[in-house]
Parts: sequence; C-alpha cells; structure tokens
Amino acid sequence: MEPVRYDDRQKIVRLSTEIVTARRKRNWRKYIYCGLLLFPLVALIFGFFVIPMLYILYLSFIETKGETNAFYSIGNYVHFFTDSYYLHSLWLTIKISLYTVVVSLLLGYPVALTMAKCSPRVRGLLTLLVASPLLISVVVRNFGWYLLLLPNGTVHQLLISLGITTSPPKLLFSEIGVVIGLSNAYLPFMILSIATSLYNIDPSLEKAAAILGAGPLRSFWSVTLPLSLPGIVSGVVLVFSMSMSAYVTPALMGGANVPMLPVVAYDQIINLLRWTYGSAISYILLGITLIMVTIFTRMMEKGRYREVFR
Amino acid sequence: MQTVVNDVEIRGVYKQIGKNVILNGIDLQVKQGELLTLLGPSGCGKTSTLNVIAGFLDIDKGEVFIKGKKVTHIPPYKRGLGMVFQTYSLFPHMTVYENLDFGLSLRKVPKEERKKRIEQALDLVKMVGLENRYPRQLSGGQRQRVAIARALVVQPMLLLLDEPLSNLDAKLRYELRAEIKRLQKEVGVTTIFVTHDQEEALSLSDRIVVMNKGIIEQVGTPTEIYEHPCTEFVFQFIGKSNQLEGKVKTVDGRMVCIELEEGVQVLVESKNMMGPERSYSIGDEVKLYIRPEKLTIQEQESEPEIFYYNKYNASIVQMNYLGSAWEIELLLFGKRVQVLQAFVKSDWKIGAEVTVGWNPSDMMIVKK
Ligand SMILES: Nc1ncnc2c1ncn2[C@@H]1O[C@H](COP(=O)(O)OP(=O)(O)OP(=O)(O)O)[C@@H](O)[C@H]1O
Ligand SMILES: [Mg+2]
Repeated sequence: MEPVRYDDRQKIVRLSTEIVTARRKRNWRKYIYCGLLLFPLVALIFGFFVIPMLYILYLSFIETKGETNAFYSIGNYVHFFTDSYYLHSLWLTIKISLYTVVVSLLLGYPVALTMAKCSPRVRGLLTLLVASPLLISVVVRNFGWYLLLLPNGTVHQLLISLGITTSPPKLLFSEIGVVIGLSNAYLPFMILSIATSLYNIDPSLEKAAAILGAGPLRSFWSVTLPLSLPGIVSGVVLVFSMSMSAYVTPALMGGANVPMLPVVAYDQIINLLRWTYGSAISYILLGITLIMVTIFTRMMEKGRYREVFR
Repeated sequence: MQTVVNDVEIRGVYKQIGKNVILNGIDLQVKQGELLTLLGPSGCGKTSTLNVIAGFLDIDKGEVFIKGKKVTHIPPYKRGLGMVFQTYSLFPHMTVYENLDFGLSLRKVPKEERKKRIEQALDLVKMVGLENRYPRQLSGGQRQRVAIARALVVQPMLLLLDEPLSNLDAKLRYELRAEIKRLQKEVGVTTIFVTHDQEEALSLSDRIVVMNKGIIEQVGTPTEIYEHPCTEFVFQFIGKSNQLEGKVKTVDGRMVCIELEEGVQVLVESKNMMGPERSYSIGDEVKLYIRPEKLTIQEQESEPEIFYYNKYNASIVQMNYLGSAWEIELLLFGKRVQVLQAFVKSDWKIGAEVTVGWNPSDMMIVKK
C-alpha cells in the first residue's frame, strides 16, 4: 500500500467535515419534520389543557367577598381544610377509592392468573371479554346498575329469596353502590395490568420452585405474587387515581348521599357559581391523589421486593 | 436377580401431544452415581424425557421409578430432585443466599445448618462472598454456578441439567463443563445431563443416550458411541463423516469386500455393521462411512510406512489449517473426502497426487 500523501490527508479531512455537516443538516430537517407532525397535537393540548389548567390554578388563589370584592389569597384552601364538610368529603373520596382498589384487586387477580395460565386462544377470548365493558358508555352502564340496585330491585329480591337476609342494605345512593359501579368500570384496567406482568414471568421459575419442593400455594406466594408486583402497583395506581377523579358514577349511584370531591367541585362551579372555590377543590384533589400515588409507589419500590421493579 | 440398584428407571414411556408423538417408547436405566447424557438434535425429546423424570410432563403410557419407588403420578414438588434450567431460572427478587435457602427452608432444615450448607454449596461452585448479590448483578457464568449450587444444596436424590451451558460463550462453556464433571464426582450425585453438543457429551459423560425423534437410538459409553455406533443416525450425528457407496462382492466371517466401482474394492470388518439388518449377501447395495481422522495420507512411491488393507491414489483438492491439525480434502474415486492430519509434508499442495489408506476396522457399513 502506498503511504498517504499530505494533500490527500487534507482532502480526507475536508471530506469528512463535509459528511458531518451534511449529516447535521439532515438531522435538522428531521427535527423540523417531526415538529410539524407533532404541532397540531401539541397546540391542542397546550391550548385546551395546559392553559385552562393554569387558569384554574390562578382562579383558585382568588377569594371573593360579596358581589364585587375579589383579591388574591389562599383563603379558598384555608376554607377547605377548616370546614368539616369538605374534609369529610375528602375522606369519603379516599375511602371509596381505596375500597374500589381492594375490590377490583381481589376480583381481578384470579382472572389475570387464569389468563396467564390458559392457552393463547382462550387468552385472546378472555382479553376480549375483560375489555368488553369498556365498549359501553359509562352512563349506560351506570343506569344498568341503577335498575339492578334499586330498593326492592333485582339484587334485593335475589338476596331475600335466597334467604341471605330479610332486610337487605341500601345499595343505590350509598357507598356500596358507588364502589360497585366504580369497581365494575375500572376492573378491566386492573386485570389487564396484572395479566401483563404475569405474562412476563419466566415459566421456568415456577418449575424451579416446584422442583425445590414448593407446592402450588407456596410457589404462588413466594414467586408468582412478588414477581407480579409491578402489575399490581400499576393497576392500583390506575384504579385509585381514576376512582379519585370519577364524576359520573358517584353522581348517579351515590347522589347527594355520597358527596365525593369531584361531585362537590362540580356543584360549586356549575350550580353555586363559586368558580374560585371549585378550582381550589380541583387542585386539592389533584394534589392529594399525586401525593398518595407517589408515596405508594415509592414504598413498593423501596420495600422488600425492590429488585422486581428493575 | 438384581445386583445394581438403578437410581432411575423408565419403562415404555409414551407421550403424544395433539398428533405429535413426542416420546415413542423410552426405556432407560440410570445407575447410581453415574453421569448420563441425553444427546440428540433439537426437538428429539431430550427436555421432554427430563420433564418426565422431574414430573412436569404427564405421560400417556409407561412407568417411572426413582430409587425403586414408583413416581409416575407424583407431582414434582414431592420428588426431591434438583434441576438446573437452560435460562438459569434464579428467582430475581431473592439474593444468592435466599435463592439457596428457598429449598432448605421448605425442608424445615434448622437455621444454623442451613447457613452451613449454603456456605458449603457456594464454596463448591466457587461463589463465596457473593451471597448478598441479586441475580441481576451476576454474570452469566456466575448465575449458572448459583443455579447449580441451588440444585445441590438440598442434597437431591438426582440432579437434572437441561442444557445448562448453552447460553454461555465457548470458553466459559469449556470451563464450566470441566467443573460440572469435577462437582459431580465430588458430590457423587446421580446426574442426567441434556445437551445437543456432541463434544460436551463425549467429554463429560459416563454413558451417553443418543435420541432421535422420540426414540433412543443407542446407549453406551462415549467410546462405544463414537467408535461403534449402532445406527447410521448415531454415526452421522456424532463427529464428522465421509460417505462412500458400493455393492457387496464377497462376504466371509470376518470381512466384507465391497466393490465401489469396476475394479475398485475396499475391505470392511463385518463387526462394523450398523442398522437393523445385519446379514449381507452378494450384490447388496451398501453405504460405507469413515471418519476423517481414521484416514491417513502417505506420499506416493515413498517407503511403506504403515501397512493398510485399503490403500488408494487420490489428489488433494483443498487444504484448511485448523491450528491443531490440517483438514485436507481429497478427490477419491471421484468423490470428495475429508482427512484430518496432524502434520503435512511440504510437497502436499493442492493438485498433488497422494496415497490414502485406512484399516478395515475403522470403516462402518450399513445397508441402503
Ligand atoms: N407443549 C407442547 N406442545 C406440543 N408439542 C410440544 C410441546 N412441547 C414439546 N413439543 C414437541 O415435542 C418435541 C420434543 O420436544 P423437546 O423439548 O423434548 O425437544 P428437545 O430435544 O429438548 O429439543 P431442544 O434441543 O431444541 O431443546 C418437539 O418436536 C416439540 O415440538
Ligand atoms: Mg430442550
């Protein structure tokens, strides 16, 4: 091979810088294309979500006295945390959301487990079945429950004729009714997120547990359950935050008896026209949900099974 | 009368999934303390056989005995075996120590003894000091060592290994192979090892079981399998082979004479017959097999070095240097034949005329 001459070397340097700049130019063009493609959605989100959210945040710091007097203060927030009605409503919202999480977890886990164990064909069918409630509008679904849960309705008559109880508890316009409605609505999310994490477990781990002497129960408790924690956590977070912010179901199934925070906020804004106070309630709800979800996920990821989340 | 107690005995195991016959009448005995290898191509039923012994696969027909006890319908967690899987299968949410402790705690071993046994097991696989690591923090080889320790720490009646080395790189595989052999002899546990790597099987095993399409082709020691294969499949699956074809010319008690073409004859020892049919008559069409390292190249016209019954002229077509040996391709009777030579002479070049010779005892014969 001939040695490279000096001017050849210069040529090579020039060429390679040209290539680099060309590549950079092409990259710029790519960014511009991507920007153009994303622009409509970004504009939409910014205009109809970010700005209103910021505006609501701004409103929540305005206190009104009488007809004309308005000034900046944190009075709305102080009012919320000093009035027992609103504190009770907050507690009720958290309580019902937790019940919903527990109910959908207990009902959902076995279904997810079945989906993970069955053949691919049955799994496809089950996935369709599990997701099918999502195809029906929330309002329609709630009216269905409404008819079933009416005083002296189908469920009541069933309970009485089966001899389980003679004076069945109030279902509609009660906490039970709201929990039933919410669990029904959010169960698919719980099932699908648990199932996804179960699919990801290497089947030979259960075999390893079995050959080491673990029966089905022990194997489930020590291997399957801990390894499905990521799915449980994401299911819990999803269902909890959706329950915290649910409006239609509490309004229809709970009515005035179950004043969950979203219903209260709606009432303040639409019926009582207290926009600023309603805004503050919305932000309190958002903040509490975020804090609870963060604490929960941190706890799980720092706990005994943190290795599972990597 | 039974003098040797078999640790494992499988009789007439048959398994069908859908229309697929996976195991078609498997009979197998594993002696106490031996390392038995199941060897065969992909999909031949090695893992299935292991799963039958472990209890993960229900069988349609047949019986399985472990230490003389019938276990055909006993679930895996009551069989008291140890198993190492291809994908390591360490519990990702447990440390190395906890992984080893899992089986011991299920056996209700007292805490102090557990600690001692875990230390011993880790010492055995040279993993002391890594007790508190999680599997994610270990290399592939280290994971496999832990998996072996986890299987051994419970002092299983039987150790089952399903291609434990196939996910490792070549050098590590070689090292761990030697280590498994050492461990097995040290612990003395009866072991069944599954592999599709013939070199691994030959170097590791006391006995090899060659499987093909759900049946056992041959059971024997590594030398028996390599030098005296019973069937064409075994010959071709293990090692490299050259194939020739011809017709039987004469048969006597010790030798068969085969005519390859007009005027060209080779001698084969009649004990080297393979396949189900072993009586030959004149005119039968046969296939002949010989391994590259059994052929020897001699220079033409040189002083006779070793005397061979079969000795022919050939020309060199290609020469490949393999480091430890030369792989030389010859044109013999118009066919390409591979020869493995430890050394070459300077005038052996492509196109050179040489003489190639071999012994009748090194050639295998099978009916077409
Ligand atoms: N669950 C199953 N359903 C249907 N067929 C199966 C099933 N499991 C295994 N088989 C079939 O059984 C045969 C034997 O499988 P097995 O896993 O025992 O092969 P193997 O010898 O271990 O192969 P490999 O070296 O690839 O691991 C294969 O043909 C495979 O397709
Ligand atoms: Mg296999």
